[in-house]
Amino acid sequence: MRLKSTYLLTLAMLLLSFTVSIETVKINDTFRLLTPQTEFEAGHDIVLKFSAMNSSKPNLYLSNSYGSIIIKPVRSRSLLSYQLPKSFSNKAGVVNWKLLNSTLAGKLNIHPKQDVASMETYLGPPSIEAGETDYTMLVVIPTDIYDNPLKDSTQVSIKHQFSANERQDSIYMKNNISYKNIYSKTKTGRILISSESLNKNSKEYDVNILPAIPTDFTITYNRNHEYTDGNQITNFSTSIIKDKYDNIVSDGTYVDFLITNASNYQLKTSGSTVNGIATAKMIHPDHQDNWTVKAFIEGLSESNSISITYNQSVEDFEVAFSERNRIVSIGPLKSFMGQMIPDGLEVKLHIYQNHIKIKTLYKDSFSGYANFNMNPDNFPDNIYTFKIEAAGIKKTYQNIKLW
Amino acid sequence: MKEKSNKYLIAALLLGLAFHGTSIFFTLETTYDALIHLFFADHYANSWFEPWNYKWYTGFTVMSYPPLVHQAIAAFSFIGGLKFGLFTLAIISIILFITGVYRFALLMTSNKTAAGYAAILAVLSSSFVETLHVFGQLPSIIGISILMHALPEIYLWIKTGRYRYLLTALSLIAVTVTSHHVTPIFGMVFFIFPLIGMVIMDTSREQSESTKAITLKIFLRSFLKLFKRIVSFGMLSLVIIIGCILPYWINSKNNPITQVPIPHGSRDNFLEITSSGLVFFLIPWGILLILLPYIFYRYYSKRYLFFGLSITILFVLGTGGTTFIPKLVLGDTAFNILTLDRFTLWASIMSLPLFGEFAYRFAEGDLKTMIQTRFGAIYHRIIGAILAGLFIFMTIFTMSLGYFRPSQPQQIKMLPIVNFLNQDQHDQWRYMTLGFGDQMAWLSAQTNAMSVDGNYHSARRLPELTTRPIERLENSKFKGIEGIGSLQQFLTTPEKYHLKYIFSNDKFYDPILYFCGWQRLRQLENGIQVWEKLNIPPVPSILPKDDVAIWQKILWGIVPFLTVIIAFVLNIQLLWIRALKTKVRPIPEYLNFKNDYNYFSKGLLKATHIWSIFLAIVVCFGIYKFYIKNDVHHSPENTIIAYYDALDFKEFEKAHGLINPESNISIAQYMLEISVTDGLLSSYAKLDAIETIITHKTDSLATVKVHTNWITPLEKINKTDYKSLVKLNGKWFIQPDDIDLDLPPDQLYSDNVTNYFNQGRRRITTEQTHHEDVLKQPVLEVLSAKLIKYNNSYALIGEIQNIDNVPADVVLKGTLYNDANKELATFNAKYHVKHKLMPKEVSSFKINFEGIAWSKTQDSIPKTFNPDEFTPIELNEQPTKFNLQVAGNVSGSDLYKKATLSDLDISQDIISGKLFNSGLEEITIPQLLFTYYDANKNMIWVDHLFLETGIKQQRQQAFEHSFSKNNNILLISDDMKNCFVNGLPNEDISNKIVPNRIKNHTHSKLQSIAHLNYKFIKIEINSYIGNPN
Repeated sequence: MRLKSTYLLTLAMLLLSFTVSIETVKINDTFRLLTPQTEFEAGHDIVLKFSAMNSSKPNLYLSNSYGSIIIKPVRSRSLLSYQLPKSFSNKAGVVNWKLLNSTLAGKLNIHPKQDVASMETYLGPPSIEAGETDYTMLVVIPTDIYDNPLKDSTQVSIKHQFSANERQDSIYMKNNISYKNIYSKTKTGRILISSESLNKNSKEYDVNILPAIPTDFTITYNRNHEYTDGNQITNFSTSIIKDKYDNIVSDGTYVDFLITNASNYQLKTSGSTVNGIATAKMIHPDHQDNWTVKAFIEGLSESNSISITYNQSVEDFEVAFSERNRIVSIGPLKSFMGQMIPDGLEVKLHIYQNHIKIKTLYKDSFSGYANFNMNPDNFPDNIYTFKIEAAGIKKTYQNIKLW
Repeated sequence: MKEKSNKYLIAALLLGLAFHGTSIFFTLETTYDALIHLFFADHYANSWFEPWNYKWYTGFTVMSYPPLVHQAIAAFSFIGGLKFGLFTLAIISIILFITGVYRFALLMTSNKTAAGYAAILAVLSSSFVETLHVFGQLPSIIGISILMHALPEIYLWIKTGRYRYLLTALSLIAVTVTSHHVTPIFGMVFFIFPLIGMVIMDTSREQSESTKAITLKIFLRSFLKLFKRIVSFGMLSLVIIIGCILPYWINSKNNPITQVPIPHGSRDNFLEITSSGLVFFLIPWGILLILLPYIFYRYYSKRYLFFGLSITILFVLGTGGTTFIPKLVLGDTAFNILTLDRFTLWASIMSLPLFGEFAYRFAEGDLKTMIQTRFGAIYHRIIGAILAGLFIFMTIFTMSLGYFRPSQPQQIKMLPIVNFLNQDQHDQWRYMTLGFGDQMAWLSAQTNAMSVDGNYHSARRLPELTTRPIERLENSKFKGIEGIGSLQQFLTTPEKYHLKYIFSNDKFYDPILYFCGWQRLRQLENGIQVWEKLNIPPVPSILPKDDVAIWQKILWGIVPFLTVIIAFVLNIQLLWIRALKTKVRPIPEYLNFKNDYNYFSKGLLKATHIWSIFLAIVVCFGIYKFYIKNDVHHSPENTIIAYYDALDFKEFEKAHGLINPESNISIAQYMLEISVTDGLLSSYAKLDAIETIITHKTDSLATVKVHTNWITPLEKINKTDYKSLVKLNGKWFIQPDDIDLDLPPDQLYSDNVTNYFNQGRRRITTEQTHHEDVLKQPVLEVLSAKLIKYNNSYALIGEIQNIDNVPADVVLKGTLYNDANKELATFNAKYHVKHKLMPKEVSSFKINFEGIAWSKTQDSIPKTFNPDEFTPIELNEQPTKFNLQVAGNVSGSDLYKKATLSDLDISQDIISGKLFNSGLEEITIPQLLFTYYDANKNMIWVDHLFLETGIKQQRQQAFEHSFSKNNNILLISDDMKNCFVNGLPNEDISNKIVPNRIKNHTHSKLQSIAHLNYKFIKIEINSYIGNPN
């Protein structure tokens, strides 16, 4: 039973295949491909010719990697000619064709013209870090006049120059591109790169090698005098900061100068490098102080620690009360040579009433003096305690009566 | 009977065209609305049938405003450009208005001379002048004018029942509705209903002996007789009102106005806010105020009774928030959406026929005789001169309003901006204008580039905008903190809107732009500063839109003009006959109901006199109050307020005049002292509120405590100053403050800095930038990042370093996810980061996740703004993970790093110290970033402080800051797996470039503090340079 059905099935299949093949033969007889050539060069005219037994004019379907198209034949007697449009015949690659209303189909290979019209070049990143580990990639695609990449194994030479060295390497097209990784050197500078294929040269490309991360450095300071006038400026500067390959770090590298003063407060100034040297400035304190300064490039490098001492400039000052004690004048504020302190030294007057601070007044010194005027609106007649602070010197006057 | 041309009407037309036709060229473009209509017209000129406009609000539909006026301007623009179209239409609207008033007055008074007077008075009436020359409401004017033309036709239809009149009436209603939708709707209520009442009265009059004999019964009988005509007219006009602008109604239904109401001066209490009272009450009423008794008396006569009711309602509604009635009548919603000035406009227009009638009677009628016999001819002439003088004064005053109190910034030359947007594909991004006023509409009309902002607030769609009571971002500084808050959100996350360019005409906004990470590009030749944001993707070529059915587009494009054509065809015959008197025409029915102009009521004359005297007293009192309030030396308060006002508006000469003259400070010295103080408070703050408390006052001395609130682009500043005043010769003066005496050490000094220049495109070409000209994005490294929760809000904090060799602009974008990896929120870093980093520089950052403020409950909008206010985003789910995307772009600008920390003092809760500017630029706004650490030196919070005063070169500036009070900060996640730099994983980059990083390198140098929650603090300085050398 089972055998029988197998027989029947086989028979049916056979019969079926006959009918199919008979049909095919019939159609193939109607149209026949007359163009045996399947390999073409881009840019040539490509015409597919068929002989036709009947009078029909079937369309030809074409497809390549860019898209598909249907073209009409030109018929002269029994000859059907299909001219591939330029958009197909100029593009390298495989073109699949199929004659519609028939089973005729096939493919054509179009090869690029082995003649370089342009060098399509990509290079990136445009800047890399010194140290022979970072690299940039050069991709070169020599193309023919129809913008087809040249065929695989086409030689491309890569030329590059760095300081006194010029070098040439050969690479080969593979999968429509050729490429090379160009590694950085230990020195900073610019690599100029070009490429050549089949005697066609590319234009010039360049890659900048930038310095690697900075190494430790030292700092120094200079100042006009060592006194705490709250006016002059102390300059800090670094040694030339370099990376581990002895390249000067790039301009603009940010350096923090952290200052710890005698009260353990962290002050800071900063600078950015020019030719490897970062400079920073800081105004002198207005009271005796000791600074410990250390510079950092956060997470990367640091300097030695230096210490700076500022000596007291104003040794002492006098305080005078007048106008029913409502005017307090402080001064003369004399600096280290006995000269009047430059204008702008801050003088504070803390006013206490019953041991509670009620107000702090601030004045900048002018010609060595600072005058406070306490008007009766704000300070009604009463007994106050005054604490005066200037240049780090504190003076207290208990129980002053204002009236 | 041969009909004569009405000479008064011809005079009115000639006068109107000569007066308005010339002056519109100097006023119309600076009005509030004209340029908006111009923008709409530009839209129709370019795409007549496509209602979607991409240029504003990331897209909106022009079906949100009736199209006729815009389409008409567009049609004229094909002949001579947009402005030609605008002015042509304005001239047409003037003609329509004058003739409309004439026809309406003729209908009401049945007297051609009175109507002629009305037409002449209408030309110069302050309400018309204001609507045209100050507000520029063309559609409104055209709408009301056509409505006035329709009124006689409606009267005749109802009175005679001839279908011809029905057709002409309806055709005019159709034109009205396509030019302005609100006019016919309210016109129905306030003009047509009383008119119908008047027709019924007239019909009743025919059935009774005299007007007095009309009883309710006769009235009802007439009403029933005319009922069919009234109903048929009512129904048909309803169909027309809905049908002609059907797409508008569909759009309103689909996109209901759900936005927060925008404050409008017409809703103010006019007694409190006198400027609103002036603009929305005094000017539109003008001289009519004197005639109020006459107007009410006449309109409450039996024939006009319904007009009496109507004008009463209009009068009351027009008073805005002065009384509670408008709000009660209209209900909260309508009260907050409608601008109430239109009611006053309509009331004043409704008064014009009676104004004409009064003028007629006063000039040549019974009133003249009466006054002359009772008071003498001289009195009549004097009164006449006073009335005419007041009338002309109001006209001139209204016309000059735009000149003395310009509502717009100076006219900006748009060409440089248009050129900028056209070059280099700048129109591939959206742009925004700041401080342009309504001129931004004119810019939009001239460029293809799209703006995030817009000038037609009913069409706003972005929730960021509709939830705020601001019309546009453009003028957000006038909208207090809500405005600034909205603006900040747009500036912080501009990539969401593809917003890359900002044109600033107001330096007020500069600091907020800088601190949100924008950079100055250049100043155009018209003085407009261009700001740019890096790392913004261009606008996609396909944008979403709300499409509507084709029939709607066709209807919208065709019907408005069709209504005009139909109305023209139907009315042309009448128009022809009326204008050229080619044939004798039957006298319209309404001319049969003559008024008796032979006897002027004595009581009315008396009432008018009493009313005028009362008004005169009120005006004098008002002027006295005004004088007292503005006499700057009158009291210490006045002096202080005037002084702060003068400083706010930078009127330094006036401010100097308030300084004690005995202090011998010359104006030159004063200017020098003022000019040395730059900074947030002196250069970028707007005085919001001032309160003065006199702490001590004698006859000649006073001490005043002045609380001031300043709105700055960055935050609100509350300040308390103590000022001393002295009285000299009966005038109060302010004692000058101390000036900064600090002397910098160097006269001339030098500094070496690294400057950068980015060529951009090295070859001059219109092509896209060559790939070899594209710079590498600077490599950044996220040193730490963590997600924290505090008081129900979330924030990302951390540190970022530029590890490249070039300076970088930094954009930080954080996204929060829950356990199921569902995206919950995304936001960018705003103030809490230094947006520009030098090579190897570090910055702390914090990203706050802001929600759209007040989007939940509209009524919870705070009455007063906190500029610094921040609305935490509401999350329904618990975020547990974060993603941090950091993008670097090479930037050579705003790299000033020369501010140093020169002194410190720390107490329990307060950190104070001094900043010293060691460089060559003046720091306009210094900002401090405080990073807080716990005892183990783990970062837990980032905070900021803007200094109010700038720092000049080689000078110091003190600061004081209270430690952050956030106590319950909870760490949610410190997993840095999802941190990316320029799209690459942070860890890979870190391992490649800085494999041997010294971890926590400067932790040994953190400042220790004695605080409950925080043990260490780090201070970073960011400086905004307002005027780079």
